[in-house]
Amino acid sequence: MTEALFGSVNYMAEKRSLDACVERQRALASNIANLETPGFRRMDVPAQFRSQLSEAVRRQDVSSMNTLRPNAVIDSSAPARTPDGNSVNLTDELVAMQDNGLEHSLHIQMISGRMSRLRAAISGRMS
Amino acid sequence: MNLIPGANSASQGLRAEQVRLEVISQNIANARTTKTADGGPYQRQSVRFKAALGDAMAAQSSSSAKNEPTLEIVRDPRPAVRVYQPGHPDSDKEGFVAYPAINIHEEMADLISANRSYEANIAVMRNGRALAQQALSIGKR
Repeated sequence: MTEALFGSVNYMAEKRSLDACVERQRALASNIANLETPGFRRMDVPAQFRSQLSEAVRRQDVSSMNTLRPNAVIDSSAPARTPDGNSVNLTDELVAMQDNGLEHSLHIQMISGRMSRLRAAISGRMS
Repeated sequence: MNLIPGANSASQGLRAEQVRLEVISQNIANARTTKTADGGPYQRQSVRFKAALGDAMAAQSSSSAKNEPTLEIVRDPRPAVRVYQPGHPDSDKEGFVAYPAINIHEEMADLISANRSYEANIAVMRNGRALAQQALSIGKR
């Protein structure tokens, strides 16, 4: 029964995006911690994840969305910053982290909004 | 339980930078030490962050928590600086005293860089905490 309440494509997509935000925060944290590790290559959630997600939303395909997992991988496009091949740039990482924080609160608001709309529909009054 | 995303990496990073600060302060404090327990002058030490590249490859499947810096303390192989000081109690037969090869400017620059890295890891921690607090507010009226 709750599937009808929480199984809509947009809601699932919000949840997946939230997962991606948390995974991205993890990747950025590990990048900054390894700022001075020789040869470390920065990691990130690939842009491919976003395109797969929007493709699934377009096709209204809940099952493929359920199997979609955001995994941080080595970002091979980032240029090496030091001679030893470390590709972490502190400024870029901090900017990405702020960006990610805002995106996270956006998804939190969307999910909370859906819940309060459901509550309003069930109880019949706006809280 | 891991509520704060990235807290593991950030705390490992903080610890690593702390060790680095300690090693730098030890170097500065011993810049003029001519005699240690093993007889010779103090030898400069430095911190080497071990390459986590292999781990990063292995930890591709979302368990990037494994992907933390580890470090080891290594001795600087640079030879001691010999200064002619015949009256010094640690001078050799020809009157030369061996001083540790420590460059104070190098140490200070290293100190600033360690400080900045420490601050960056603190920022990661603060951001992760904000995310966790927002997530806890899901569904609140």
